[in-house]
Parts: sequence; structure tokens; C-alpha cells
Amino acid sequence: MNHWIIAPIVLPAMVAPLIVLAMRHDLMLQRVFGLASSVAMVVLSGALLWSASFGPPQVYFLGDWPAPFGIVLVLDRLAALMVALTSVLALVVQLYAIGTGWDARGKHFHALFLFQVMGLNGAFLTGDAFNLFVFFEVLLIASYGLMIHGGGGQRLRAGVQYVAFNLIGSTLFLFALATVYAVTGTLNMADLAVRVAELPPGDAALLRVAGVLMLMVFAIKGALVPLQFWLPGTYANAPGPVAALFAVMTKVGAYAVIRVYALAFPTDTPATGTLFADLLLPAALVTIAVGSVGVLGAATLARQAAFAGIASMGVLFAAVAAFEPQATSAALYYLIHSTLAGAVLFLVVDLVTDRRGNGALRGPTMPFAQSGLLAALFLGAAVALAGTPPLSGFIGKLLVLDALRADLTLVWSVILGGSFLMILGFARAGSHVFWKSQATVPDDQAPEAQRPEPLAFAAVFALMAGLVVLTVLGGPVSAWLDTTAQGLHDRDAYIGAVMARAGEG
Amino acid sequence: MEVLVASAIGVMTASGIYLMLRMRTFPVIVGLSMLSYAVNVFLFASGRLAVGMAPIIDKAAVGYADPLPQALALTAIVISFGMTAVIVMMALGAYLHGGDDHVDMDAEEDR
Amino acid sequence: MSLALIAALPFLGALLPGLMIRAGRDACALAAGSVTALALLLLGLNAPAVFRGEVVQTRIAWMPGLGLDANFFLDGLGLLFAGLILGIGLLIILYARFYLAKSDPMGQFFTYLLLFQGAMVGIVLSDNILLLLIFWELTSLSSFLLIGYWKHLPEGRQGARMALAVTGGGGLALIAGMLILGNIAGSYDLSVILTQKDVIQASEWYLPALILILLGAFTKSAQFPFHFWLPHAMAAPTPVSAYLHSATMVKAGLFLMARLWPVLSGTEAWFLIVTTTGLVTMVLGAKIALFKDDLKAVLAFSTVSHLGLITMLLGMGTKAAAVVAVFHIINHATFKCALFMTAGIVDHEAHTRDIRLLGGLRRLMPVTFVLTALAALSMAGIPPLNGFLSKEMMLEEATHTALFGIWWLLPALVTAGALLSVAYSFRLIGHVFMGPVRDDYPHAPHDPGFGLWAAPALLVVLVVLIGLFPMTMVGEMVRVTAGAVTGADVPVKITHWHGFVPALFLSMFAVGAGMVTLGLYQPLAALWARTPRPEAKVIFDGLMDGVAGLSRRVTGALHDGALTRFVAIAVVAIVAAGTWAFVGGTHSPGTRSLTEATPVAAAGWVIVIVAALALPVIRADRLMMLIVVSIAGLMVTLGFAYLSAPDLALTQLSVEVVTVILMLLALNYLPRDAAVETPPMRRLRDLVVAGAAGVGAAALAFAMMMRDAAFPLISDYHLANSKPGGGGTNAVNVIIVDFRGFDTYGEIIVLGIAALVIFALVDGLLAGGAANDRLLKWPVGAGRAADRHPMMLVVGTRLLLPVAIMVGVFIFLRGHNQPGGGFVAGLIVAIALVMQYMASGFGWTAARKRIEYHAMIGAGVLIAGLTGIGAWFNGMPFLTSAFAYVNLWPLEQFEVATAALFDLGVFLTVLGAVMLVLASLSRIAVRAGETVNVSAFDIDPQGGR
Repeated sequence: MNHWIIAPIVLPAMVAPLIVLAMRHDLMLQRVFGLASSVAMVVLSGALLWSASFGPPQVYFLGDWPAPFGIVLVLDRLAALMVALTSVLALVVQLYAIGTGWDARGKHFHALFLFQVMGLNGAFLTGDAFNLFVFFEVLLIASYGLMIHGGGGQRLRAGVQYVAFNLIGSTLFLFALATVYAVTGTLNMADLAVRVAELPPGDAALLRVAGVLMLMVFAIKGALVPLQFWLPGTYANAPGPVAALFAVMTKVGAYAVIRVYALAFPTDTPATGTLFADLLLPAALVTIAVGSVGVLGAATLARQAAFAGIASMGVLFAAVAAFEPQATSAALYYLIHSTLAGAVLFLVVDLVTDRRGNGALRGPTMPFAQSGLLAALFLGAAVALAGTPPLSGFIGKLLVLDALRADLTLVWSVILGGSFLMILGFARAGSHVFWKSQATVPDDQAPEAQRPEPLAFAAVFALMAGLVVLTVLGGPVSAWLDTTAQGLHDRDAYIGAVMARAGEG
Repeated sequence: MEVLVASAIGVMTASGIYLMLRMRTFPVIVGLSMLSYAVNVFLFASGRLAVGMAPIIDKAAVGYADPLPQALALTAIVISFGMTAVIVMMALGAYLHGGDDHVDMDAEEDR
Repeated sequence: MSLALIAALPFLGALLPGLMIRAGRDACALAAGSVTALALLLLGLNAPAVFRGEVVQTRIAWMPGLGLDANFFLDGLGLLFAGLILGIGLLIILYARFYLAKSDPMGQFFTYLLLFQGAMVGIVLSDNILLLLIFWELTSLSSFLLIGYWKHLPEGRQGARMALAVTGGGGLALIAGMLILGNIAGSYDLSVILTQKDVIQASEWYLPALILILLGAFTKSAQFPFHFWLPHAMAAPTPVSAYLHSATMVKAGLFLMARLWPVLSGTEAWFLIVTTTGLVTMVLGAKIALFKDDLKAVLAFSTVSHLGLITMLLGMGTKAAAVVAVFHIINHATFKCALFMTAGIVDHEAHTRDIRLLGGLRRLMPVTFVLTALAALSMAGIPPLNGFLSKEMMLEEATHTALFGIWWLLPALVTAGALLSVAYSFRLIGHVFMGPVRDDYPHAPHDPGFGLWAAPALLVVLVVLIGLFPMTMVGEMVRVTAGAVTGADVPVKITHWHGFVPALFLSMFAVGAGMVTLGLYQPLAALWARTPRPEAKVIFDGLMDGVAGLSRRVTGALHDGALTRFVAIAVVAIVAAGTWAFVGGTHSPGTRSLTEATPVAAAGWVIVIVAALALPVIRADRLMMLIVVSIAGLMVTLGFAYLSAPDLALTQLSVEVVTVILMLLALNYLPRDAAVETPPMRRLRDLVVAGAAGVGAAALAFAMMMRDAAFPLISDYHLANSKPGGGGTNAVNVIIVDFRGFDTYGEIIVLGIAALVIFALVDGLLAGGAANDRLLKWPVGAGRAADRHPMMLVVGTRLLLPVAIMVGVFIFLRGHNQPGGGFVAGLIVAIALVMQYMASGFGWTAARKRIEYHAMIGAGVLIAGLTGIGAWFNGMPFLTSAFAYVNLWPLEQFEVATAALFDLGVFLTVLGAVMLVLASLSRIAVRAGETVNVSAFDIDPQGGR
């Protein structure tokens, strides 16, 4: 059995307590160990991605108990992809946090950061529904800590809202899981898939309820209207790097929907049919609308970035809702793109807000240090998120449009209309923050001392480079994703691998 | 028995939700713990009800209650304890900062 | 390859100016220029093949799955446009070098300019329409940057945003149109699409595709009603206006129409939409141009007008008309670009572009005068200049085309347009250069250096040469281009004399009437000033601000931070979705029989219900709430015990105690009571929402409990293997530490994190700031009992401690076989320690605390993890347990399992976490002035400081 599969969970889970135990008074040591493990994670996840790209899903039987009786981890292409994405993002964000000194503005940043990564990786790797809940809680509670990192009244109050709203989500998750177990008698996802397919008609109604409740849980994570309300306040008040890391948190919701529903509730399931698709698509379209309207209407840069994130989740879910290989492949490409793009926007916004003193998009505006460079970076991020050429956002959008031909007129107009509003919003914001400020004083005199923060900028450039690579390598990437999506929709390989030892029961 | 448990779950849920809809942090927190009682019982009940059949392996035992939901509920209890502790302290911190324990806030104040 | 290189060169070159600027403005311009020249050279190398009638191709696979590939091809049309773009680009770079002021960041300017150039070349060389879309949007983007180049000018910023909104929006429509077109044709490659005329025009999607594509083209080429953005784009530096907004970018729309002419044109829809739009734009633009006083505005609207003219020609759908269109594209590019440059010169020298402040410049700026005059005459269509030739041919076509079946409509309107065009052209000459020299110019004007007028001069030379020898100059070019546009070989015959045809008389009339119109300019202008007309910018701004304002209100109203409403909406949505799902599926009621309820159980039930219902009512008194909620918790505990879940009961109980203590301490620093704030209606709403949720939960629970699972439970395996496989008789505990140990691993980590979060939070609070100040000002002894460390309690807890620890150890050890385990043990010991704190105060306890809580948490999680890893060393997966039975006299046989080690980790984490949380709380207490007493207990009633 390939022990490396569990490493993305165990490594941070060992380093973090070590930091707490041995080096909680020494920030330098914390940084070194934190970075070291992040680098290790990138290498590791790269290797896992490689090994997952060839051959069937690999299963790790925890405690050596056969599935479905024990907990299993499953490394398939999707899981490997998500882990790799998380590792890369985590490393970059960590560099940024160190470069800007964010990690010094409160205690335990690096420990919490590692635990957060551990939770994310666990959620992506686990093949057990209840274990998924546990890892959701791990990543959530770590995110609570990171979100209020640095303190401050406004941030704490926003934090209370964030926690309260997500506790409802956790509670709902338990309701759903209990019902699933009561009806099917199992918690293992693959086993669930098998049992759902053979479910007696009389149990259909309860299973449908369970499925929908779980869908709502993932919708909260994925900020799907009408469950998106927690996001703007949280992201706008979270520390910049944390908000950037959160770009992958919303994706957990999308991932979970793809994983659970493509595996256990395919649209040809007698009990559930297209129930989930029918709920998802309209919600996704409204989400796009709410998000892009928010981009145009937001009062601050950070909130604008948050709404851009919501809109991108809408596009993502619209593609997911089709539940067929081509659309799923498009969704995955868009997932990678929007994670990187969202993160880079939050980092740029943080740099700007930090230099400008505030992120207000109305009222007086003053020039600030490095505004030229930051303007260019903001433009890049905006272009990526609005989905205009030349960055991967455009390709992602084309892929999604190309894949969604069902209600072509409606879906396309919403997606393109959304892009239009976002273009307007970003153009207004950019010209207010970067151009109008120039009206007050001539360009040549910098208003305040330059603060290069090379590490922070390096992080931002790295993410930008990621977007460029994703664009240039669009062909091979989407080819790889096509295969991945295929594997997700004809589920036999996954189920077969997990249930291989079921006979031992 | 089932009727009692089900109705208890329902009432605790309702009471929890109602408290969550109040304006101050403290009732919201109490509401959350009420909600967690409800869901823990629900989780436990997913193993159906049994009296005098504790899942302790014993030759004399006539049968066992389903141990799995109990284990899950155990985990859930612990986790919700951690969550409650965190939100209590966050609410406390927020109050100490602003002298205001309302849960609603003005979005325009974001920086 | 070479085609891709031509398109790529400007992009690569775009980096240079930025780098070269340190080397000075000349180096900067030189870099930009040489890149452009190189690209032009490469293009020239491909020209002969094109003239031989070949199509040069470069294909690079990019995203074959999507159909987006870097496929380029070069035919006559592409050659003409690429030539214009690069050739004029070269002149512009030269002109800009001398036009821009020292203070203008030139590196930035040339970078933007080259970006635009690359995008533009990309458009005209693209074979793949998705690739074309990319370049298309890039031109909008770069023009946005160039218009806003002078950041400090508000009109620059507004003009930039307007241009982006209009052209960007059109671009989005174009995306949809192109995707549809590609689907009809079955390929995104033009080389394929252009052969699919019949398929495309037969498709039901033809009209939508056409409209969407035309939206893209019209917005880009400033066709009515999207014409208004172009004049506002004139806020850009003049080189930009000359390049983007007269010669190239605005022609992208025309290019697109010409490019797709073979497959889209020839239908009724095409003819009506395109011809009419073009016609309206032509006349409207010309009319406005006549009455503008800003030189650049006049030129801008005349550009609009001429674009309309070309659009109209393309709309006619005849080969001959296409030829004229192509020819006029060339001519317009030459004379209009020249005019912009000379206008820029006037502005540059006289420091104004307002015609009313000018006049009589012919003596002061002879060179500029000659250049302007020749170009303007060509624009007016005066023989023998090139503008004359294309205008004649255009009128000729017009006379053969009936619009809406009315034979005279088109000729009449076209003639009107020509008339106006004559008028404003002569106005440029007359009102700017003729007349007496004035003494009130903002700045004494004189001809600039050669550098500034060289570029326009070259263009004017072309104007004349093409005018004199059209066939030799551009005959071939027009032929191959027209051939590419129409997809067929078309005869090209450009002459000055067509004989006494209607066109001739129309033309003569236009010139004559144009003169007259100019003669009557003052009264006409007065009339124009008096006639009310819609101001496009006002409308547009109103629209934009309206949209923005609306979004602001909507967003503000939706996301106003009102958690209570967010939760309400979420709950409603969840209940609704759940209900909908249930109704949609078949449900057969369960078959299990009810378990009978004993009176005891009923009594417990009553208490829970009463407590739950009481909570909302007693909201005023928070202490009471806490008591009531803990009573409910206690009842739940008893319920677990009664329903054969001893472990759950133990855990719930211990957790309950700790939670209550925690909340009790926290409540010390929260407002004790709160008045009810919500209005009755609101409370009713909440009641309904909560009620719905409650009913839903209850119903679900009941339905669930009354049925058996449809399949065998996986827990049967757990029961069967608990002893043989897990080495413990307590199935629940074996599941926790073995079957699902990984859950527990995550669970203790959650607990650990919670403690860290709380520690960090409190640490931040006490680091200073508002919260800290509030605590320092905290009223001493507020609401505390006089005797805060009562002797009884102290003694009691002191005695209790060892007992509690014994119990803890016992519970810990028996856990695997009997109810208990590391978690409960941890809590019990924690409680015992907490009691010490409660009794004797933090200081005393802290002073006797041996181990750091952080360390305890860290160690706990590490031990648990290491136990899991240990399994690797005998080749087993993470958390694989091993156990053995040990006989150790005098004890009876007992069993040692690695699970116990894991449980130790749990124990330590739990203990550490709980203690760290309470320690953090007591730090707050200390800061708030709580006495740190050193003696075990004090009887000082005041608890002095």
C-alpha cells in the first residue's frame, strides 16, 4: 500500500503540533518549518499527481480495515489535482504572509495555517462521508482562527458571523449524514454509490432529503445563492493572505459536489434523477448575477474581490450542474483558474489597501507608493476574473460556454452579462483607485516611502505566472482534465478500487 | 419512545433556530448549543432506539444497540464543544472591542 | 511560422520601450519603430505569394479539444489591413516621438501602442475565430489604456471607460455570435467557415449569429447607435486618435464584416441591417461633424460618417460595392490619418483645437496648411485626389441600389452625406487656415520641425499619388483584397472619368451645395445650436450611473451584514429544498414497532420540552438561560444513558460541565441581560421560520427511526470484530480508537486548534487596544460574591483532586472494554483542575501548574500521530492497531493495545485544550482586576487588589 497517499494529511498534522510544542516563542523557526513543510507538500503533491495520472484510483485502508467498514483515503486524479492546487496556493500565500509580516500580527499563524492545509487535503482525499465532515470541521475551525488573525473589532464581529453561519452548515451536515446512514446503513462513499443504485423505491424520499441537505451544506461552502451571505463580510475582513487562501475553501464545496454527486447520485439514479442538477443550475445562475452585480456595486476593493469570487463560483457550479464529462472538465479547468485568479486579486487588493490606508471605492482618493506596478497587477487580476483575454479566465469561460448548450440562450446571456458587469465594475474601481488619484499630484513624486516587500510581490508574480502557464498549456491541461472527468462519471474504477476488500466483511 | 425523541429533537431545533435569530450574541450562542443537542440526539437516533442493549460485547447480551451512530455522535459532541468554545470567546472579544454585542453589523465599515 | 511571428513581434516588442526608456526617448521610439518595421518586412516577404493568389498559412495547435488553435492565414484582405496597421503604425511612432511632451511617460505609451498593434495584427491574420476573439478583446483593452493615458484628465478616464463599456460589451456579444457561427459551420477556422455559406444561411441560428456578430462589429466601428463613444475617445493623445480611432481599430468592425462577407452577406437581413445602419451613421456623423468646433471632434464625427459609408457599401452585398469599400478603406486611412496628425500639429503649436479661436493660419503654418488642404480636399471628394475616386464609385453603386424598394432613397441620402462631407472638409480649410491672421491665439503658432510633419506629409503624398495613378498604385492591392472579400475574382477598374452618369451629377451637386452650405454656416450653426438634440454622453453616463447605483443599492441591501436575516433565509431555503425533495420521491412508512415509553422517559421529555420552550421567553436573564440550557443538556445525557449509550452519556455530561463553566466565566464579561429589541411582527416571522425547521427535523427523525435500513449495517461488522479484531469489548470505544480512529484523530485536532485559536484571540485582545482598555477600566468586584474563595469549596476541591485524577485514570484504562476512554478521562481531570481554579483562583492554581498547556496539546496530537505512524514500521497502514494480552501477577490478565497509546494522545490533547481555554479566560479575568491571590484561600470580603 502506498503510504505517500496519507502524507499530505499527516505531514502538516505532525509539523503543526511540533511548532506548538517546541517553537511557539520563535517566529523565525516557525517560518522556517512552515515553509519547509509547504515546499515538501508541493513536491509531494506533484509526485502524487504524477502517480495518479497513470493507472486507476489508489486506496489507502486506514487501520487496515476493509472498506466500507473502516475509513479509506482515495487518491484519484481529482483528489490529486485538488491537493496539488492547495499545496501550491498554500506555499505562495505563506510566502506572502511572511513577506508582508502578516504572520507576525498574531499568535500561532503558521500552526493554524498548516492545520488548515491538513483539513483541506483530508477533505480532498477521504473516501468516507463522515470523515469528510470531520475534515470540514478541521479546515473550518482553522479558518476561524486565521480569519480573525490580527484581531480588531470589525474583524471579530465578522468572525462571529462567519462561525455562526458555518455552524449551521455543520449541524446540517450531521442531519444529512445521519439520514444517509439510517437509510443506506453505510458511510463509505463508494459503498453508498452501490447501495443508492439498488435502493428500494420506498426509501427514495428520505434519501432525496438526505442528498439535498448535503447539497445545501456544500452550497454554503461554495457560496451558492441563497447561502452566499457569509462570504463578503468574511473575505472582506479577513487578512489579505487568509482571504487568498480561502479562494480554495469555496472550491471545497464545488469539489464535494462533484465528488459525491457524480459518484453516488448520477443523474440516471432512479431515486434522485436530475433532482440535484435542477436545484444547482438556477442557483448557480443567480449566483453569477449576485456576484457580478456586487463587483459593480461593492463599496471597497476587498468586498469587490469577494463578490468576484462569488460570481466565479456561480460559473463553476453552472458547469458542475450539468453532471456530464465535458462540462465537468470545463468546470475543473475553471476551478483551477478561479482559485489562482481569486487569490491573486486578494493579494493585490491587500497590497493596495495596505499602502492606501483603505480600500474605499468612493470619495476622495490619494496616490500611494508603487501604484504603477500595482495598477498593472490589478489589471491582470481583473482581466483574469472578468474572463476577458488573454488570461485563462477567457479560456475557462469559453470551455464552460461550449459545454453548456442545454439552455443556451439563458445560460450564455447570464454568463456573458455577468462578465460585462464585472468589466464595468473593475474598470470603475481601477480608474478610481489608480487613475483618479493621479489627478491630485503629478506622477513623479511618490507620496510615501517605497516599501518593496520583495517576497510579497514575488508571491503575486508567481500566481500571475500560474495563470499564464494555465493559459499557454490550456491544451494539455484540458486534455488531462477530460480524462479526469471521464473517470469521475464512469465510476467503476473508483468503486472497484475501494470495494476490493469488501469480501472480508 | 420514538415520538418523544422525535418531538424533542423538533422542539430543540426550533428553539435553537429561534434563538439564533435574536439580535445579541449570547442568545445566538445558546441557540447554537441547543441546536447541537438536537443534532446529536438525531445522529444517535439514526441507530434506532434500544433500551438496555449497551454495545458492550458480552456473552449474556440479548442484542446490542447500533454502536456506530454512538461513536459518530461522540465525535460530533466533542467537535461542537470546540466550536462553541471558539464562538463564545470570539463573541466576548468582539464585545470587549466595540462594547456592542449585536450580531448584525454594518457592512460599510469594512476597510 | 512567419505569420505567427508577425503577430507576436509587437507583443514581444512591447517589453522593449519599458526597458529602453532609461536609455532615453529616442532609443525608446527607435525600439518601437524597429520592431514594427521588422514585422512590416516579414509581411512584405509574404506579399508576393498573396498577389500570386496563394493563401499563406501558419497553424499551431493550442486547444484542439475546444477548437481554439493559433491558426493564422494571410490573404488579400489580411495583407491590406496588416499593411495599413504596421505601415501607419510606423508613421505614428515617428509622429508620437515628437508629439509627446517631456513629462509624458513615453515608455508606457509605446508599450501600450505596441500591445494594441499586436492585437490588431492578430485580428487580421487570425484564421481561428476564437483566436480572433482574443485579439479583438485585447484591442478594446489596449485602447482603454491608451485613451486613459493622461490619467489626470477626467474626460480621459471617462472616455476610456465609455469606450471599454461599448466595445467590450460588443465583444461579449461577438463571443456568443462566433461560438454559434462556429457550431453551425462545424469548425472555428475561417478557412472552413468561409466555405459553408449555404449551411450557415440555411441554419435557424443564422439570424441570432448575424445580429450578435454585427453587434460586435458595429460597436467597434462606431456605427449608429453606438457611434457616441468614438468622439469621447479623442481625449487620448492625438497619435492615438490618428492610429486607433481613425486608421485601424475602428476599422476592425469593417474588417470583420468584410471577412465574413462571403458567408453572411447576400441575405435580406444582412442587406437591411447593414446598409441602413451604415447609411444612418454616414448622414448623422456628417451632420454632427459640420457643427463641431473642436478640430478633433470634427474629424472624429467625419470618421464615424465615413465608417458608415463603408459599412453601407459592404451591406449592399454586390461585388462591385465590395471593391469600392476596399478602395475607400485605403483612401480614408490615408487622408483621415493625415488630417488627425495635422490637427495635432495645430493643437501642438497654437495650444488650442477650437476652430473659433483659429483662422488665418495659412500664413503662419504654410506647410501644415498645404498638407491639411490636400487631405481635406480628398475627403471632400475633389478630383483628382483619391477621395474623389472612391466617392464617385460609391455614388455610382448607390444609384443602382433601392432601399425599402424606393429607388431614390439611397442616392438622395448618400448625396446628402457627401454634401455635408464637402461642407465640413472646406470648413477645416476655411475656418482654420483662411481668413485674416489673428493676434489672440493662445500661443503664437508656426510650423513645427520636420519630425512632426514628416509622417502626415508622406500620407498626403500617397493621397495625391493614389489620386493620380490609382491603378498603378493600388489596383492590384484592391483586386486581391476584393477577391478575398468576395471569395471570387472581381475586375477592378478605377478611373477618373465614367462618362455622364448620374453619379457625376450627384457629385457635382454635392460639391456645389456643400459650398453653399458652408457659406450659410453662421445661420445654420445658430439654428443647430437652437435645435434640441439628445446628448449621447449624458444618456450613456445616466445609464451607467443608473446601473452602478442600482447595483450598489441591491448589493448594499442584500449584504448589509444582518446575520439574523442571512440565517432566516438560509433556514427557509433549507427547509423548502428538503420538503421539495421529499415530496418528489416515493415514501413507504417504516415497519418498525414503537418502543414503549416509560413514565421516567416521559418525565425527562417534559423537562426537555419545557426547557427548550422556556429559553426564548427568559431571554432577558442570561444567567437563567445558562441554567435552563444546561438542564436540557442534562436531560439529553440521561436520555443517552437510558437508551443504551453509556459512553455518549459520560461524554455529554463531562462536556456539559466544562461548557457551562466556560460560558459562566465568559458571561462575567458580557452584558448580563438584554431587553427584547425585535418588533412583534419580526418575532412572529422568526417563530414561523423556527417552527418550520423544528417540524422538519422532527418529521425526518420520526420517519428515520420507524424504519430499518435498506441494507445491512456496516456496524454489524464492528460488533463482530470489536473483540477479535479490535481487542476491546466496548464496541463504541473500539470504533473511536480503531475502526474510525482517523475520525478521532481529526476530532482531537479540532479541539487542539480551538484552544490555539482562543489563546491567540485572547492574546491579541490583551496586547492592547480598545478591548484591553475596557478590561483595565472594568469595575472591580462587579457582581461577585463577597467570599470568592469559600473555605468549604477550597477544601472540598483539594480533597477532590486526587480522587478525580484516580477516577480519570480508571476511566482511561477501562475505556477499551467498558464505557470511558481517553476523552472522558481528560475531561474529568480537567474539571477537577478547573475546580481548583474556581475555588482558589487562577494565580494559586497557575503557580502550581507543572506543565505548559500548549505543550500538552502539541504532545497529545503528536503522540496520536506517532501511534498512527508507528504502524508503518510493521508495514501496516496509518493507525493500524496491535494488541497483546499480558499476564502480570498479581493482576489478572489484561491487554495492552497501541490503541491505548492513541487514547493517551486523546487524553493529553483534551486536557491541554480545556485548560488552555480556561487559562486564556482567566488571563482576561486578571486583566480585568481579578485578584491573583497567593494563599490557597482568603477571607478578605473585598478581595482587595
